[in-house]
Amino acid sequence: MDEFGGKWPAGMGNCGQEVVSTMRNRALIPWFQRPASKVLIRRAANYEQELETLIYESLVEFALPVKDKVVLLKPNFVGPDPGGIRNTHPAVIGATRASFLRLGASHVWIGDGPALDRDTEAILESIRLRDFVGPLARTFVDLNLDEVERVPLATKASRLKELYFPKTVLGADLVVSMPKLKTHHWAGVTLSLKNMFGTVPGSCYGWPKNVLHWAGIDNAILDINAAVRPDFAIVDGIMGMEGNGPIQGTPKACGALIFGDDPVAVDATCCRLMGLLPEKVKYLAAAGTMLGHIRVDRIQQVGESVAALRTRFSVIREFDAIRDAA
Amino acid sequence: MEKDQAKPPAMDPISAHFPSNNGSFRLFRDSQNSDGGWGFIAGDESRVESTCWVVKALTAIAGAKRGDEDTVRRGLDFLTKAQLPDGSWPAVPETKTGCWVTSLACWVLAGLQDEKYAKAIDTGLRWVCDDWPQDSSWWRRTVRKLSSAGKAGKQNDAARGWGWTPATSSWVEPTAFALLALEWHPRASSVTAFQREAERRRKLGEALLYNRMCPGGGWNCGSPEDYGVPGEPMVIPTTWALLSLRHNPERRENKESLDWLENNFSKIQGAASYASARICLEVYGREREIQTAMAYDPEEPASNLLVAAWMSLAGSGPREWVTAGRKS
Repeated sequence: MDEFGGKWPAGMGNCGQEVVSTMRNRALIPWFQRPASKVLIRRAANYEQELETLIYESLVEFALPVKDKVVLLKPNFVGPDPGGIRNTHPAVIGATRASFLRLGASHVWIGDGPALDRDTEAILESIRLRDFVGPLARTFVDLNLDEVERVPLATKASRLKELYFPKTVLGADLVVSMPKLKTHHWAGVTLSLKNMFGTVPGSCYGWPKNVLHWAGIDNAILDINAAVRPDFAIVDGIMGMEGNGPIQGTPKACGALIFGDDPVAVDATCCRLMGLLPEKVKYLAAAGTMLGHIRVDRIQQVGESVAALRTRFSVIREFDAIRDAA
Repeated sequence: MEKDQAKPPAMDPISAHFPSNNGSFRLFRDSQNSDGGWGFIAGDESRVESTCWVVKALTAIAGAKRGDEDTVRRGLDFLTKAQLPDGSWPAVPETKTGCWVTSLACWVLAGLQDEKYAKAIDTGLRWVCDDWPQDSSWWRRTVRKLSSAGKAGKQNDAARGWGWTPATSSWVEPTAFALLALEWHPRASSVTAFQREAERRRKLGEALLYNRMCPGGGWNCGSPEDYGVPGEPMVIPTTWALLSLRHNPERRENKESLDWLENNFSKIQGAASYASARICLEVYGREREIQTAMAYDPEEPASNLLVAAWMSLAGSGPREWVTAGRKS
């Protein structure tokens, strides 16, 4: 019997065995009917410090039902990054994986479908992911090349009627979006919601996934998140990126890890940490009406305060309007 | 979709610098699905792109076909059945809309130089020539000039290539594969209107590639400049762009890009990049410059049948397989 109890999750190496396909089609609840969301900010100065205990204790606070469940961690890998400034840092990914296993998860996959570079192996090598999570063969899934399933888009925020998604994403019991804290030259910010672009497979839509741009980035973010419904978010804000992100920006230290079971609330809180106004980020404002909370009075913010760790991130001129002048 | 086997084939460690072709071909044979195609990962559902590359590897390498005729025939059956009524091929067989893999399928079939596939190639290439990117339409160019998108980078909107999906924007790789596929000429005694159109598209596509080259050489997906910052070249788009432009070896852009590729060869960290770069440099006669080899472990996640096919092709001898087919 292997570590999956003989039943492999869909995707890499499922090898014809039974595919778990639960479909992540939970109903959308209007914001005014949703309970307040909880967002936890933890201080973390650097990647060399002991992160596993910090992350484990943070996850315990959310009492996530992960015992015997399959978890998918979805980091943000945008390209080769030997300097560790573009992608979710592997130290955060490794500590998160270990924490979920300690909480009883039956398996923790790490998966992403980089948008611009089809040589995912080169990205993984450049950040030395295996040094933090061990052998990648039964841990990492290239979501660009995974088996796919067609999913009708319920929200129809964009003109897209349906999208293919990787079976590993659709079959996971818990999807955790793990972006890096970055500004974005087309969307304003790229956090846990925008990070889900990486669940759309390049083998169906190309490198980049240009059909999403044509559908309207803001609206495509809503459609994808309404379809995939990430359950949890952990934002790597230890070292972020400002300016012309998500690739050509400038490193910006913020010294924080942000956790939450409502990715919209997490992103809104991240914006406030970055000195930006979430209500002015188009897709985030819309997400606040259908996917989660962005209003301060609907977010129970615990741990460090936003004010204690606020670090003003610069944005390109086109996004001047999202700056919080206060 | 049923698999030939419930368990995955035991992948040989395709060790050291190149897989032995015998090992690769056994992997391809053992991982062929009952429908004749291959997935990206052994045992996954068949896809057009992965099947194209395995067929290319099985048919392009001298002597490879020996003993694999049935495997190849079944692979080609999958490809011909996957073609849509409008001549295109879809990324996922159940889809009814074609995309960039149409160029790839045409290129692979054309390389066989078998008259049996002439009609499939012809209808496929007609679809390719009918597929115009929308980013360079008059309306879009005007909108771009007026919007912030126009400030993202300088580009010549008169050049038009191909997109990953129909009616979107031009990108480097789909344009490169369309150019490779359009090297195919039907066996016709006179120049037809279609051939004239194909030639026009080839010229526009070449212009697009040269326009999208990064400053100093090399290509990324298609953004040579990003809000005033020079785009960073990437290996795979650079190799396919160079291969599609190999008829212009003396052009400055080709030379600069080859230099970039050669200078960065030793820094390559992925097998897919390694294989494609090696193929490209050898086609341009720079094989003696290559000193580095790469260990390739098929147990690693990025190691898949597409990569195995590229590694097989990189480890093969002559590169005639790059050419789509005969000249009329």
